[in-house]
Amino acid sequence: MIPFEYRTPKNLKEVHATLKEFGSDAKLIAGGTALVIMMKQRLVRPTCLVSLRSVRGLNSIEVKDGGLSIGGLATHRAVESSSLVRRRLPMLAETYHHVATLRVRNMATVGGGLAHADPNQDPPPSLIALGATVKATSSSGSRVIALDEFFKDYYETVLNPDEVVTEVMVPKQAPNTGAAYIKFLPRTADDYATVSAAAVLTLDKSMKTIADVRIALGSVGVTPIRATAAEAVLRGQPLKAEAFAEAGEKAKQAVDPVSDFRGSAAYKTDMAAVFVRRALEKALADVRQQAKAKAAPKPAAKPAKKKAVKKGKKR
Amino acid sequence: MDVPKVAKSLPGVESVSKIDDTTYEGALTVRVGPIKLNLQGKIILEEQNKTDWRAALRAEAKDRMAAGAVNGKTIMNLKEIGAGMTELLVETDVNILGKIGEFGQPIIRKKADAMLKEFVENIKKQLSGK
Amino acid sequence: MNKKIKFRVNGKRHELEVPTNRLLIDCLRYDLGLTGTKEGCSVGVCGACTVLMDGDMISSCLTLAVMADGHDLTTVEGLAKNGELNPVQKSFIQYGGFQCGICTPGQVVAATALLKENPKPNEDEIKDWMMGNLCRCTGYYKIIESIQKAHQFAK
Repeated sequence: MIPFEYRTPKNLKEVHATLKEFGSDAKLIAGGTALVIMMKQRLVRPTCLVSLRSVRGLNSIEVKDGGLSIGGLATHRAVESSSLVRRRLPMLAETYHHVATLRVRNMATVGGGLAHADPNQDPPPSLIALGATVKATSSSGSRVIALDEFFKDYYETVLNPDEVVTEVMVPKQAPNTGAAYIKFLPRTADDYATVSAAAVLTLDKSMKTIADVRIALGSVGVTPIRATAAEAVLRGQPLKAEAFAEAGEKAKQAVDPVSDFRGSAAYKTDMAAVFVRRALEKALADVRQQAKAKAAPKPAAKPAKKKAVKKGKKR
Repeated sequence: MDVPKVAKSLPGVESVSKIDDTTYEGALTVRVGPIKLNLQGKIILEEQNKTDWRAALRAEAKDRMAAGAVNGKTIMNLKEIGAGMTELLVETDVNILGKIGEFGQPIIRKKADAMLKEFVENIKKQLSGK
Repeated sequence: MNKKIKFRVNGKRHELEVPTNRLLIDCLRYDLGLTGTKEGCSVGVCGACTVLMDGDMISSCLTLAVMADGHDLTTVEGLAKNGELNPVQKSFIQYGGFQCGICTPGQVVAATALLKENPKPNEDEIKDWMMGNLCRCTGYYKIIESIQKAHQFAK
């Protein structure tokens, strides 16, 4: 790769000052797993890399307003192994676990992944289905962007060149909500999905009507796709057997996949319908399972088992 | 046909200069997210038929940093389809070679489609005198 | 553009000046002479370049040397202590966890990290953790067995 300057600002103020200094020739780098590959192939040739790795305080995972706040510099590994995320939003922990290999997950950050905006990624559909928002910070302040309005095109977001994704907020989910993320991987386990579907389903008190639903798909367009038409045929409707298959068919209208080595456009479109249906079924099973667990009598207190879970390092 | 004018209708074309009656030199910048390609090459006017209203252009361009190359052929046909209405048919065949080709096949294809759409819109605007 | 960096590799401190575009794998192999780490695919997929940074496995082919500044690295050369192979290495020998050996440094480094977190992993846990370390020779059976039985060699 071409020679470049490597700057290590210690806080956001210095980050923005350095970005301003180098203008459009500068690129932010956090984990670097996506950027370094592109630089090795000379597809991206920044003259300055502004590293976020020395900026402290942006990698926490905590409860905020009943929901989850994930720092932009938290690694994928930190999210997947966080006991907080696994307890409150297991679907999100699973989603982050699906990404590439553990080596990538140890480096790749939540914010960096979103800013990279590859439509084949796993986190975006899940986060969109959970109603997540992103906080983007620049020298002139911060703004909050709904994730389903964040992606513009392949590798393009609505972020301005000097904005840093500092936080991802997942709102508190309504009662009787189940969530699922399914990744269709006909090739290797570390690959991007051929098609992926995330569904978050909220039932009403009777558990017989769909109060709300959010469906998002990955790998079927130049950005993650929110299947609003599919959601519309379900929202407010009673739960019935064919409803999910119908929603799956409706989702086909929202997708525009490319034919590539993971599948033809026609195949991916067909699979979009299948996986939307399966994700909805899994989300429904999740609601029911949660309801069952709540209703079940609490077991006698067992001594806490030592969990083989690595806690994210606080930097 | 005014080759520079047609060429500049393609989004991203930065300069077109004449070398001789049928050969032009040009520079084209294409962006896909953080990936920026600076293509430099030749445009050769292969066919210009004023009776049939048909023109064929061939282009060969290389990325300056050697991430790849693009070559393509465009055939343009004007056909009168009714009183005061002319149909412009644009057929393009593009090959993407090298790193950008292997890395970005699906991305580049989407981008190429979008660029051609804009190209046709621009030509339409020019031809209808807007 | 050069930058001065300081880091620990296998417990030993190093201070070097490297070009910013030097990859960590090249720095380990050529600047420090630690050629145990191998480059297989150059795109972070095969795992031959696996090293540990602060105990976590990373792809050294996707990491810039400057990103390791201030960190603690472990390569395959650092697994043995005082000339004695670590339990994973002993198990790989005992149970035949390698054939040509090219993926082996990555395998044993990754497995060492796994055993630190989970001393007696079951087959599914091993497969999940080791998923990114590819092997073209063994078919993985002996690798999994070696990892599963490594605890036999632990003190």
